[in-house]
Amino acid sequence: MGHSVSAVTTIPVAAAPVELEREPLVANRRSIGWISDQIAAVAEGKTPWWWWFAFIPSVLLLITCFTLIAYLISAGTGVWGLTHPVMWGWAIINFVWWIGIGHAGTLISAILFLLRQKWRTGVNRAAEAMTIFAVMCAGIYPLIHVGRVWLGWWLFPIPVSQGIWPQFRSPLMWDVFAVSTYFTVSLLFWYMGLIPDLAVMRDRAKTKIRKFAYGLFALGWTGSNRHWSNYEKAYLILAGLSTPLVLSVHSIVSLDFAVSQLPGWHTTIFPPYFVAGAVFSGFGMVLTLLIPLRTVCGLQDLITERHIDLMCKVTLATGTIVGYAYAMEFFIAWYSGNPYERFAFVNRAFGPYGWGYWWMISCNVITPQFFWFRSIRRNVLIVWILSIFVNIGMWFERFVIVMTLHRDFLPSSWGFYAPTWVDIWTYIGTFGLFFTMFLLFMRFLPIIAIAEVKAITPQADPHHPLGGASKVGGHH
Amino acid sequence: MKTIPPPCPHPETGPKYWRSLDEVAETPEFRDWLAREFPAGASEFEDGVSRRNFVKIMASSFALAGVGLTGCRRPYEHIVPFSRMPEGYVHGNANYYATAMPTRTSAIPLVVKSHEGRPIKVEGNSDHPDSNGGTNAWAQASILNLYDVDRAKRFARGGSTISREAAVAQLAAVGQRHAQNQGQGLAFLIEPKNSPSRQRVQEFIANKFPQAKWFSYDPVDCDVHQKAASRATGRSVRPYFKFEEAAVIVSLDCDFIGAEEENTRYINGFSKGRKIEKPTDKMNRLYVVEPLLSLTGMNSDHRLRVAGSQVANVAVQLAQAVLNNGQAEDKWIAECAKDLAANRGKVLVVAGHRQPLAVHVLAYAINQALGAIGTTVLFHQAPELREASIADLGIALNGGQVQTLVITGGNPAYSAPVNLNWAATVGKAQEVVRLGYYEDETFKGSSLHIPEAHYLEAWSDARTMDGTYVPVQPLIAPLYGGLSEIEVLAAIGGAPIQKGHDIVKDTFRTLAGTQSENDWKQFLHDGFWKGTAAQPVNAQVSQDVVNQALQAGRPAAPSAQNLELALFRSYNVDDGRYANNGWLQEMPDPVTKITWENVIMVSKKTANDLGFQDSEFMFGTHELRQKDYPRGVPTATVSVGGQQITAPIWLTPGLADNVVGLALGYGRTEVGRIGKGLDGKGVGANAYLLRTSENPYFVPGAKVARVANVKPAEISCVQHHWNMEGRPIVREANYDQYVANPNFAKSLDLESPKDSQGNPVVASIYPNPLEREKNNPRIPHQWGMSIDLNSCVACQACVIACQSENNIPIVGKEQVYRQREMHWLRIDRYFAGNMENPQTAYQPMLCQHCEAAPCENVCPVNATVHDEEGLNLMVYNRCVGTRYCSNNCPYKVRRFNFFDYHKRTAKELDGPFYTTPVLKKTDGEWDLNKWVKNPDRHWRDDEEWELLKLAKNPEVTVRMRGVMEKCTFCLQRIEAAKIAQKVKAGASDEVAVPDGTIKTACQQACPADAIVFGNTKDPNSRVSKLKALDRNYAVLDYLYTRPRLTYLAKVRNPNKAMPDYTEYPATTEEYRVSMMADPKGNPFAPHGAHDGAHGTNGHGAAVESHGTHAPAGKGGAH
Repeated sequence: MGHSVSAVTTIPVAAAPVELEREPLVANRRSIGWISDQIAAVAEGKTPWWWWFAFIPSVLLLITCFTLIAYLISAGTGVWGLTHPVMWGWAIINFVWWIGIGHAGTLISAILFLLRQKWRTGVNRAAEAMTIFAVMCAGIYPLIHVGRVWLGWWLFPIPVSQGIWPQFRSPLMWDVFAVSTYFTVSLLFWYMGLIPDLAVMRDRAKTKIRKFAYGLFALGWTGSNRHWSNYEKAYLILAGLSTPLVLSVHSIVSLDFAVSQLPGWHTTIFPPYFVAGAVFSGFGMVLTLLIPLRTVCGLQDLITERHIDLMCKVTLATGTIVGYAYAMEFFIAWYSGNPYERFAFVNRAFGPYGWGYWWMISCNVITPQFFWFRSIRRNVLIVWILSIFVNIGMWFERFVIVMTLHRDFLPSSWGFYAPTWVDIWTYIGTFGLFFTMFLLFMRFLPIIAIAEVKAITPQADPHHPLGGASKVGGHH
Repeated sequence: MKTIPPPCPHPETGPKYWRSLDEVAETPEFRDWLAREFPAGASEFEDGVSRRNFVKIMASSFALAGVGLTGCRRPYEHIVPFSRMPEGYVHGNANYYATAMPTRTSAIPLVVKSHEGRPIKVEGNSDHPDSNGGTNAWAQASILNLYDVDRAKRFARGGSTISREAAVAQLAAVGQRHAQNQGQGLAFLIEPKNSPSRQRVQEFIANKFPQAKWFSYDPVDCDVHQKAASRATGRSVRPYFKFEEAAVIVSLDCDFIGAEEENTRYINGFSKGRKIEKPTDKMNRLYVVEPLLSLTGMNSDHRLRVAGSQVANVAVQLAQAVLNNGQAEDKWIAECAKDLAANRGKVLVVAGHRQPLAVHVLAYAINQALGAIGTTVLFHQAPELREASIADLGIALNGGQVQTLVITGGNPAYSAPVNLNWAATVGKAQEVVRLGYYEDETFKGSSLHIPEAHYLEAWSDARTMDGTYVPVQPLIAPLYGGLSEIEVLAAIGGAPIQKGHDIVKDTFRTLAGTQSENDWKQFLHDGFWKGTAAQPVNAQVSQDVVNQALQAGRPAAPSAQNLELALFRSYNVDDGRYANNGWLQEMPDPVTKITWENVIMVSKKTANDLGFQDSEFMFGTHELRQKDYPRGVPTATVSVGGQQITAPIWLTPGLADNVVGLALGYGRTEVGRIGKGLDGKGVGANAYLLRTSENPYFVPGAKVARVANVKPAEISCVQHHWNMEGRPIVREANYDQYVANPNFAKSLDLESPKDSQGNPVVASIYPNPLEREKNNPRIPHQWGMSIDLNSCVACQACVIACQSENNIPIVGKEQVYRQREMHWLRIDRYFAGNMENPQTAYQPMLCQHCEAAPCENVCPVNATVHDEEGLNLMVYNRCVGTRYCSNNCPYKVRRFNFFDYHKRTAKELDGPFYTTPVLKKTDGEWDLNKWVKNPDRHWRDDEEWELLKLAKNPEVTVRMRGVMEKCTFCLQRIEAAKIAQKVKAGASDEVAVPDGTIKTACQQACPADAIVFGNTKDPNSRVSKLKALDRNYAVLDYLYTRPRLTYLAKVRNPNKAMPDYTEYPATTEEYRVSMMADPKGNPFAPHGAHDGAHGTNGHGAAVESHGTHAPAGKGGAH
């Protein structure tokens, strides 16, 4: 398998005319071997100092998270700020927020795959990993937010002696299926895509343990034609299966609100607008994660400015849809003539929690508008800062929606909600879970799909002047 | 509590060891010491109320079948059940006993439910000739006092425990000592009470000790009514007001709905005059003159706010106007007088207990002038009030005339006027014998302290206001061996009969003139003795007394520099006696909706004058509607003379300017764990510190000052938003509008698309299973409820009745602050109109039992479901606590157990750092470990836990943490009635429960009969008939939840000539502004008539064709 990294760069390239040339997805004409080396190196090399610097606080936060969950379960739901009439607080806000973040991964890997968007290969692995970890963070909340956690399994249709079946009319029930299906399929999809790369890791492994572990999960991948053929088919099928899930999971989460009859919740615009918002927040989080990642791991040639540019465009599109939805909600509330509905929306913007609404509008509607400008889309630092605002904005969107509860039909039951220290630290703690998982992922798995990236290099294209597998730096 | 093992028997063989010299001596002291492991009285409770011992305690209820129990608590008295005479004791079946709760001036006739020998629920005795079965919140909550772990449990001499026998012996010794000098130096301080037995014992003592002095004191002096009536008429009479006969009622600071002792009866009478079924029915009109906003003021049609001291001025002007045919400077008074004059013979003018005698006399004068004496005001012969005041006692004590003071009621060390300097004054007596329910402030100065028996533990009797003689019979032997007042008095007097039962029986025989045992049983069974009602005496108000009253000097009006402090009886803790009652502490004050506290109440103008900005107050009034999230309120001091108290200041609508309101009864220092509050310093501020004998209620010269540099005070107020925002939730109209459009309530329905038949085209996506059941002959019942907002006076008896019936926990101040109170039934209170003198609307809000219940289809585990009789059920066992049902409940009537509220103590509920059993060790063992061994593990001490369990209704599940709960329409009562009916029906199919058999707890307690529950499937049932009335409407009709609980809209009866008359009720004005396209339109114009004419497109879009008619168009709908 020995090869020379520098050899590739010496090959003369007969470039296409400049006006027809698309910006390459792998910059600097990197060779196929370089790709393997560079990606695998993140998991193979010596643990860098910054990794520990990130990992230790993450683990501490993870411990905080689980300690507080233990406290919550042992003492009672009252340790949270939940109250009458706001019976859902930060738990549901954070649940929806994390689930939303978990959207980008599968969208990138499935929908963009089906749409033959080749640029997805640079970011899909990390985005899918992000999805899985985000869904894990999200999945904690529905479980622990119930009053009697130990009976949470009653939400599953398990035949029990009580003979009572769950209530299939409840959106929470749909949530159980939607989220668990989404998680399962996302995990499978991610794992499927990992198999060829795991084989690469296995083949490169230097220790027996690594060889065994990667070998175990590579499922005996040899890279044979038959393997590839089966793999491509399975991948396509899973992509097909995941695609509706991308749309279903967040629409169903939105039904948690839309199916109720509260003013401000009971709106038909919620499913599409939640999906758009989820993609928006998912891409926001992908940008937030990958921009530092490509720098610290030296992957600028694989996650190029073009990738960031494209993701910014998706963010702009979905952010604008979200903005449209906000406007439409207001319009419909007015147009419906229902005074309760009107009040709910006016109260969102100008009520006691109006500041949250304006955070949401600033971050979700105004922030993405900067992405109209190519110079901003190409400025990695500004994109990174803006992506953080996208995340904040989407958190506030869910905050605004959940806080609609504080003033509903009868003014006598209007109340207020404030999180407690437990709410706040549990939320921060979920970042510990997320980053612990993500950092472990970085250290042990290829964070970019090696095989797929190679497939979109000019070298992999038989019609390209550089194409053909027979050339130097070819097959691995 | 553990059972103390008997002393070791001596071994029969082998060497004989002794443990001390005393044992050898076998002295009684040693035996006593052996029996009590902890000498300081700790074992006085013995094994207390453990289940095992409890069987012994419940002896008295077993006795109903004539079976005496073995053991030391063998009852000697026979108690006869009220309604059902069981053959034998049937385990699990509740028994009902007639009794009565003594009040200051009479008694509330009761039927008390007893389960396995423990009284668990107080209900009014509707068989009593002068009761509809209504009670008040105090009566409902009194049962909790019985199981109060902090009540006095021991006989104490100088603070250390003595035996009961020793204490009784000492009582007798007191008597004997004073018998030698005819009672010289013996003084009694008693509380006002209307008990013939006590009167007899008093007379016995008075005969035996003619030199003994009697003093009477109650901080809330309701005897003033009798004193005033006697003064006015010159005869010893007590007034009997018949509100039901009055068409026009004027209250001169008389809070007959709240603070007057007879409020149960008064509410009943008042509400009768407001029940209207058709537009031809007449309703009464209520004028109120008062300094603070009271419950009565909230119910008024016209209200005049004046300082308490100035009510007398109004009374004079009103009296003069009535006598001079409506001539008065003030238009309000003049028109009020005209209205009174126009309703000759059907008027009632009442003066409140806080007002001086002169005001009462003037009220009688007006009544007499308008021919009301004999119709609305009756005078009943009453025993003379001979006891001297507490001020006289102070003089006697300071004069060294009292060697022995016997206190049989009240808590003078806490509540005596501050100028008496009680602690020092009482020290002048050589011996203070005190009968007290608590080891409270007065305990300290008592040389002998006797634990008082609860009224459900001891025999007594009383006369109700109409003179009917009622028994106060116990349901349980005294839990801690306490004595009753008559027993203590009899012991001191050395009466020949010393047992409470015997005294009462003897009194009964004397009064009823019968020796028959059956009559006695009948008396106990019925709860009253027929035909003992008093006959009205013909008494005339003396003109001289009236002239004196008209000319009495009047105090100066308060000003911004010279504020007037108005002290009032707390709706919650009364005069402080209920300070340790958690239900009452957590019951929202009906006016302010504040719990667990008394606040300094001021009007907006007064607050501004004092330098407080509107924005400093946290909750929304009309002007402050954006500010209703909590930030706390400022703290202030009120000082009078040298005394000063500190409390949060609260802006209250409707108060007179330059008046400062403060409730009595708070700020107790020596009190149990409830009354101590979370900080251990006592709940609220002690208003008695500002109270003198000269100015017991209205204290001039008060100063209010801000306490600078303190954190804003967090107030546990259960309703943060005061304004209805114009929404048609409480629907009301003025009487004229009702007459013009009896269907007015429904015209406020949100307009919705209808088809050509006028049926809504919007329908639930789920079929309503009840549609089928409604026609199913197999199901005879469809339950429903109707609440008449016109009768409801917001007294909150229902709130506590519900709490008592349904095992609803209290959650403590901190949890209420977090809006986690658990009341299944709450009274929503809305202010509208002018904030200086607002109109108030209120509404009992509880589960509406929607047919298309929004809570049900969102529950993922089927924990809330419908039964075929239309009840929305809550299956606690199935609930996992997603709380989605609460979010989706439009009425927000579901309550969530955020913690194990039953198990946790107040301290454990004080956040934000709540204890967890995982990290807690008690008695050297991890709580978690204990919990594994026994999941019923609790955080409370064992004794408290046992008592807490005893107070529970065994027919209702005690909910654990993590589950949702809500009103069930008292399912347990429904099921009991159904079972009983099925038993009765036998093989026949007469299984339909007859109308009126089932009364929900709230309905039963309601003195106004505002709540009616029943079978809506039966068209002749009372509830069906009420639901057929014009005024019937459903809250949030437009949601199509189809509530089974509907309301009858409120009708106000204002007088057009009054200066404060408005064409529409204030909430309706707001409705016009915020809900209607045309704010000047008539909100009551019927809409929907046109809907039918516009084909089946089903859209009510044809409104504009009606031009100016503007039928309640809802803005953009068109």
